[in-house]
Amino acid sequence: MNVQTLRALCKASWHYRVSPSVLLLAAYVLLALAAPLIAPQNPYDPLQIQAWEASSPPGTMSGAGYLYLLGTDGLGRDIVSTVLYGLRLSLLVALVSTAAAAFIGLTLGVSAAYFGTWVDALIMRIVDLQLSLPTILVALIAIVTLGPGVDRIILAIVIVQWAGYARLARGVALSEIGKPYMDAARLLRLPTGRIVLRHLLPNSIAPAVTLIPIELGHAIALEATLSFLGLGVPIDKPSLGSTVANGFQYLLTGQYWISLFPGLALFGLIAAINFVGEDIRRRLNPRSLSHDA
Amino acid sequence: MTHDSIEEPHHETIGEPLLTVSNLTIRHRGAGRGDGADAGSGAGATNSATTILHDVSLDLHRGEVLGLIGESGAGKSTLGNAVLGLLTSDFERTAGTIVFDGRPLEGMGPREWAKLRGRRIAAIFQDHTASLDPLMAIGRQVEEAVLANNEEPLRREARAVALDLLARVGISDAAGRYDHYPHQFSGGQRQRIVIAIALAGAPDMIVADEPTSALDATVQKQILTLLRDLVDDTGVAVVLVTHDMGVVAEVTDRVVVLRHGRIVEKGITGKLLDAPERSYTRSLLAAVPRLKLAGPDRGTDREGSDEETLDDDGASPSPAPQAPPILCASNVTKVFTGGSFGWFAGRNRKPALDGVSIDLAPGAITGIVGESGSGKSTIGRIIAGLETADAGALAIEAKPFDIRRPGRRSGLIGKVQMIFQDPAVSLNPCLTVGETLKEAVRFGNRPMDDITSAIGGMLDRLRLPHTLLPRYPHQLSGGQKQRICIARALLAGPRLLVADEPTSALDVSVQAEIVALLKETIAEQGISMLFISHDLALVQALCSSIYIFKDGRVEDAGPSGFIFGHSPNPYTRSLIDARPRRFVH
Repeated sequence: MNVQTLRALCKASWHYRVSPSVLLLAAYVLLALAAPLIAPQNPYDPLQIQAWEASSPPGTMSGAGYLYLLGTDGLGRDIVSTVLYGLRLSLLVALVSTAAAAFIGLTLGVSAAYFGTWVDALIMRIVDLQLSLPTILVALIAIVTLGPGVDRIILAIVIVQWAGYARLARGVALSEIGKPYMDAARLLRLPTGRIVLRHLLPNSIAPAVTLIPIELGHAIALEATLSFLGLGVPIDKPSLGSTVANGFQYLLTGQYWISLFPGLALFGLIAAINFVGEDIRRRLNPRSLSHDA
Repeated sequence: MTHDSIEEPHHETIGEPLLTVSNLTIRHRGAGRGDGADAGSGAGATNSATTILHDVSLDLHRGEVLGLIGESGAGKSTLGNAVLGLLTSDFERTAGTIVFDGRPLEGMGPREWAKLRGRRIAAIFQDHTASLDPLMAIGRQVEEAVLANNEEPLRREARAVALDLLARVGISDAAGRYDHYPHQFSGGQRQRIVIAIALAGAPDMIVADEPTSALDATVQKQILTLLRDLVDDTGVAVVLVTHDMGVVAEVTDRVVVLRHGRIVEKGITGKLLDAPERSYTRSLLAAVPRLKLAGPDRGTDREGSDEETLDDDGASPSPAPQAPPILCASNVTKVFTGGSFGWFAGRNRKPALDGVSIDLAPGAITGIVGESGSGKSTIGRIIAGLETADAGALAIEAKPFDIRRPGRRSGLIGKVQMIFQDPAVSLNPCLTVGETLKEAVRFGNRPMDDITSAIGGMLDRLRLPHTLLPRYPHQLSGGQKQRICIARALLAGPRLLVADEPTSALDVSVQAEIVALLKETIAEQGISMLFISHDLALVQALCSSIYIFKDGRVEDAGPSGFIFGHSPNPYTRSLIDARPRRFVH
């Protein structure tokens, strides 16, 4: 299973059919990386923001000589620039938190399976407890306790997501522990850390690889939700979610562009990640391979 | 019964053959190397990576059992599936025809196949558990097959027909067990039910793909006898796909030997086994371990006194009584506590081991023989420290270990190394061969300064090329993997080795090689070994003294000569009798 999954992963990268969602995702990543170069304005720099140009509709010419292609928000920030910088922040938060959650969740899940008894019971009861609460509630509690800030948001998402990885990894690890190569490792009296990290962990993470792209989409959505609720990133460093929230109050006055364009960008990003993630998952799962072939 | 009269085959070619396969060539279309799932099966093929069958021709008459024998990758199952019309779209017939009862099977649509399969051609597969629906009473399953495969639906009579079928395949009290579920039957009974379902449509031909490979020897014998009787009674024709020469010798009329998708040799079973023409057939035959019965039951008078002492207690004297045993286990008892649900716990708790005592002589190979569920693997794992026991004492080289505590605590783990049954899962798939072996040397019992030369020497001794070191396990053949497992166990420098069915997952020709290699290396290094197997002949070839396990107890024990010569134990005799006559001398 494991080797096949890894091999399938290698193969997938070799002749990957280029789909629209992959192109879209690649475009997002490029735009995010190149944001400081291509954005007409740095929305984090108050000196570049002209407050008297607040809520300009799309197509207004700015005083600094560039076009507000998608208009400006209530504070006079260029929407194009805000979206580009917000994209950076959203992607950064999602990637860091997903990586951290996967690492922590996998290690704890595999450890629970290996050590068994009370270690297993303790870790898995926490997992059960957490999975029994709605995601957004857990995130809200975490943010309220930790306080606002980009690092806190990452921490909150990790707290929300590690449990899923832990449960998955534990199940796989339990079936791996029963295999003779694990017995052989025990018979050689290898140190416990070596058995877990070198023998058990690499063989238990393959299924989790398929979980990562999906959870990445969730992380972005969760960050946007928290920011939208005003519990996320600070107001002077808007992410996509908080930009949507900023424009929310202007919707009724007809200034649709403040919320609409960041919202569309967010929608496209999450959709692209989910499509690509689903595609990767299907490719890695040999059982579903025959269906789309 | 045991079919000794096969030398005069009763196929005086009664008219047309029922099935004719001519010049069949089948290719596998998987782009290059196939995609992941098939990589395992492709590994065995050497030059013909895509062509599975080359120009295969054979025919089958009514009332005849045709054996298709070959090692893994020979294409025998592909041939069986082609006859059943079960090949996936990855397979492509490039030449040849299959004609069943005067009708070509190529180009038939799914509807036509549905009419043919079940009614005229039935199938029996190896895995009896997967062949039955676990959520449906077995009577209903047979009934369903009866209704599906008969022209006029005879709802009223279906039950009677099903009962009749179940009785015919030897399910005792078929009416009483009609509403039982598959898990309530033993493996042999389940396979009987599968056969009943296959017979439901009164087929002309049954394709049986390794029907007895998952069964114990004594049960295997019963199932083969049943198949043979059915063939003789009903005149159904059987294509028996197998890797086991014993099965071929037991029931088939004619046999086709396949290798790499080509027919090596075909002919009447008796003739072919007596005088094989091709060297490959000869080597296949030579690789089958043969049981040698030293002077049958008559030689008892000389050793009569010996017998009495042995019969009292299961424990046997070691062949070299002067040397103290390297391992001494006494009264080992183990009860598995699983599925403890309230008051259900404690009921039906059959001990896996019940007061087992064994001694292992130093520098010798001791065998444990038993069928599945006899506790033979459990005692091996307890000795290695991988499993705890509930009671009993264990001493290795006179040093006692507390086997009720986990091996890591009692210090037992690491004293003994093990070789496992399935080499495919015995090596960490994420580590290269070199990394695996290096680890064994570094953490083994005798630290060596020069790790590389120690590994090199071991590879040479096991006749493995050094080029394997940077490879991953999935790039090796089954035999190579098992030799790497042996190397890993030996490099750790144990005094005692436990080999749990080390050859059961390997092809016959590879089996013989591994056994010879194991015997040689053990002797060279002066290591003692406990060899656990279900195969009497293999144990006889290797072991100086033998324990026979049954239901968690030592049923019979003694030196090899005694067990096979004149042990009076009825269970031992029944095990010996289950061997195909041809491979007993």
